[in-house]
Amino acid sequence: MLDTHTREVLTGVIDDARHKGIQASLLLHRERSHLLRIGNSSVSLNTSESLTRLKARVVDGRREATHTYLGELGTDDARETLEAAVAKVREAPERDFEPILEHVDETVIQEDQYDPALAELDGTSKAAGYARIMREIGPSVTYSGAWSSGATETYLLSTASEAEAYHRCTDQQFSVVLKHPAAEWELRTDDTGWRVLDFSAERSIAEIRRLLPVYESRDGIKIEPGQYTVLFGAQALAEILGMALWTGLYGRMYEEKQGWTAHHKEGDRVFGANISITDDPEDANTFRYGFDLGGMRRGRYPLLEHGRIAGFMYDIETAAKYKRPLTGHTTQTMSVVMDGGDGAADPLAAVADRARVLWIPALHYMNVPSRAKGLFTGSSRFSAVVVERGRIVAPLFSSRVTESFENVFNNLSVLSREQISVNLSDTYGQRAPVAWSVPSYAVADGIHITDTADSF
Amino acid sequence: MCDTGRIHQEIEEGISRVMDQGASYADVRFHPEDVSESLVMYDGNLENNETLQQSGLGVRVLWGGAWGFAASSDLCRIGECFARSLANARTAASLVALPLDMGRMSPHRSAFASPVEIDPFSVPVGERVGLLRRMDEQISEDWIQRRIVAAATQKKTVQFWNSEGTFVEKKLTNVFGTIMIMAADKDGQMQRRSHDLYTRGSGTRGWEMIADDELFGGHAQRVKRELADLLPAEALDHGRRSVILLPGQAWLQVHETIGHPLELDRILGYELSYAGGSLVTPNDIGTLRYGSEKLNVSSFGGIANSPGSFGFDDDGTPERDYMLIDKGILVNVLSSRAMVNEVNEVAGRQVVRESGGAARASSFYRAPLERMTNVNIVPGDDGTLEDIVASTEDGIIVDTPTSWSIGSNREHFHFGCEIAWEVKNGRRTRVLRNPTYQGHTVEFYNSLDAVGDASTWRVHQVENCGKGEPNQIMQLGHGVPVIRFQNVESGEKE
Ligand SMILES: [Zn+2]
Repeated sequence: MLDTHTREVLTGVIDDARHKGIQASLLLHRERSHLLRIGNSSVSLNTSESLTRLKARVVDGRREATHTYLGELGTDDARETLEAAVAKVREAPERDFEPILEHVDETVIQEDQYDPALAELDGTSKAAGYARIMREIGPSVTYSGAWSSGATETYLLSTASEAEAYHRCTDQQFSVVLKHPAAEWELRTDDTGWRVLDFSAERSIAEIRRLLPVYESRDGIKIEPGQYTVLFGAQALAEILGMALWTGLYGRMYEEKQGWTAHHKEGDRVFGANISITDDPEDANTFRYGFDLGGMRRGRYPLLEHGRIAGFMYDIETAAKYKRPLTGHTTQTMSVVMDGGDGAADPLAAVADRARVLWIPALHYMNVPSRAKGLFTGSSRFSAVVVERGRIVAPLFSSRVTESFENVFNNLSVLSREQISVNLSDTYGQRAPVAWSVPSYAVADGIHITDTADSF
Repeated sequence: MCDTGRIHQEIEEGISRVMDQGASYADVRFHPEDVSESLVMYDGNLENNETLQQSGLGVRVLWGGAWGFAASSDLCRIGECFARSLANARTAASLVALPLDMGRMSPHRSAFASPVEIDPFSVPVGERVGLLRRMDEQISEDWIQRRIVAAATQKKTVQFWNSEGTFVEKKLTNVFGTIMIMAADKDGQMQRRSHDLYTRGSGTRGWEMIADDELFGGHAQRVKRELADLLPAEALDHGRRSVILLPGQAWLQVHETIGHPLELDRILGYELSYAGGSLVTPNDIGTLRYGSEKLNVSSFGGIANSPGSFGFDDDGTPERDYMLIDKGILVNVLSSRAMVNEVNEVAGRQVVRESGGAARASSFYRAPLERMTNVNIVPGDDGTLEDIVASTEDGIIVDTPTSWSIGSNREHFHFGCEIAWEVKNGRRTRVLRNPTYQGHTVEFYNSLDAVGDASTWRVHQVENCGKGEPNQIMQLGHGVPVIRFQNVESGEKE
């Protein structure tokens, strides 16, 4: 639970607000973050940040305002943060709809993904982890990577209810990238999780050793643009899915007919029958949040069932504007789970009968040239290879995929039976751990490669 | 709140202490004031009415050739922040192949303030919202389905100390503005058209900028007209043709395929685990033909009014004005102090003489990185937009990005734009929707065959360039004219 002093300060401020008839919420975000970065086989940055943010939101009839304070948090600071929001709301114009105030449905104290050892993990252990990988793999390549870890507390109070919601977690994201100085190929492996034990140098070393011989013995291949069978790795799959959900199932996009589902409705089949996707805050492969920042208790929420739209995601603003029920999606930290299939755990076995397959583990710099058409584009990067008859034959040069979400998810002929946790966190603004659970690979037929390079 | 005098004293003592403990360099950035505000009027409702106020400090220590960094929003524990930064640097030094060296810089005491006539935060909220409301009324029509008017304002004071005795105080102000409207086209697909507040490079950059009709509000009627033209338009066919980029698109082309690949940390391989590398190698500096003779690219470019103009970077280096690409040849890169030595060592000759003043951190809690300042294409002598159109046989004019996707070494790219105009035999013929184009960077810039004159040049303000781990959002500018490229692959194959 939150430390007693901070809790008393914040409950005091919210109680006062309630007595004064102010409709307000307070959201505390406290992080202790650490990141060690490797570049050119050296530690290029070793950084610690200790940050406390308090966001006050005030609703007054049809007016709304927020004020966020990042700084040393004493009683006066908390009170002044709320007062700043109150002052702003007085000058705000009325909307033509009533904003919804955060409402903490029931008291939630969630600390089940908190590992004290990970919270304390420092640069020394991280530098040792990288040093070990470098020692075992050797100096023929240069090493890069980043290892981010941290502890995050989130605490939400509202004048609308007496309950309080508290969440504390730890998370880490590890990556190592190998680059050959002459041949210029890049290999990457990752680890993610909420426990310190979720990082394994052995696993990274084994993964690198599996791919290294191909990269060391074969030149890269430039393919001609055209249609190919693509074996998308978990990272690529999660990223495509992320953009598909954002442009297709996010309530705002849907209500405003901006995305590729504009002319569909709940129950319509948009993807293949083998595609089922749920936001499941109970799934252990994800970073679990039992409540959203609107204070709603989060539960299992189907998004797509056997290719049919099962639900759209509404945040507090969109729900207010379009008068829809809240769905628990006032959050960055969803727990998306895409169901797997019956494909062999080994992706190479799954494509043993195919003449040629492009194995693209990750897509670099994806974007959506047309939301309305659901068209995305991105290029292969890291560990991409050409596979023939189930054997890796050569590394693949940078190749651009430009394709529609519907083409991808209607043409997944094999889905792995194994689920992988993919870390999708970013640290823009504040620490917000996100991980999704997706099949370890998916085989997609007829994927358009629209441009290729003669370099990695 | 801890008092400012004590904070300054603790900072100076902290620097002395870590230097006594064996550090070779240390610096501190303290943000006593750092406020930003976002106002977004969406369909006439003020949906975003947010202020962020932050303060804290970041301490950077170089020990044994390696960086440690620590930041805290708790100003009562400054000593701890120094201790953590030093400990982080010591750990980092256990794994260092090529020790970093800051080079030498003479100490100086300096100050900078963005040129501002009206402090945006001195304008009453009601008045700021009133401006958005008036803009919203201008773009409101029955056939327009979505209307967005946004204003973002930032004001911060940054105090910088380093162990060489330098002290810099910067007061930076930014004002950003956007209008965007959307409507469904003849196929029921949502189209959009927008305009961002830009600058002419000179003048002041306070609230007066967004109140200037020439830069912002006066574009409402044009944006409406162009959206109306898009709705019945045909989609752009796939093919090869000349592509003319208006400044509203040219800025992002320059940003992604000149700015980012010329960041020295990318060139040296320090961004490989995230943002990516660069098509440029250290040895290319001074030799690579990046583009045609018509390509002249500057950094800073003497632009006073831009989010990329800040007086002194976060190494304390004064803003520098220099060419990156001269008549098509790559002659310099975007650099910070700590990378200059290394690039010369890797190249085996002096390819970079001094820091380009491009070390920038987004906030007190992030460490500086190589970032763009203003990366600009120098105006050319191919006349106005209409002159360039007149000399185009078969092409399109495109404006305003909807999508951008770039190869990890910035060697190739794919862009989507809001609107295109077809050009046939020297005349604009019709509007086309869903335009996209793609290419390979060096080949593309070598096909640059027309650069508009100063009348076509404007400074695009960038509010949200992302880079680095932990991630940092940075503000910068691009002064760009109208530019034309030959034989570009454009449109998508059906
Ligand atoms: Zn950028």
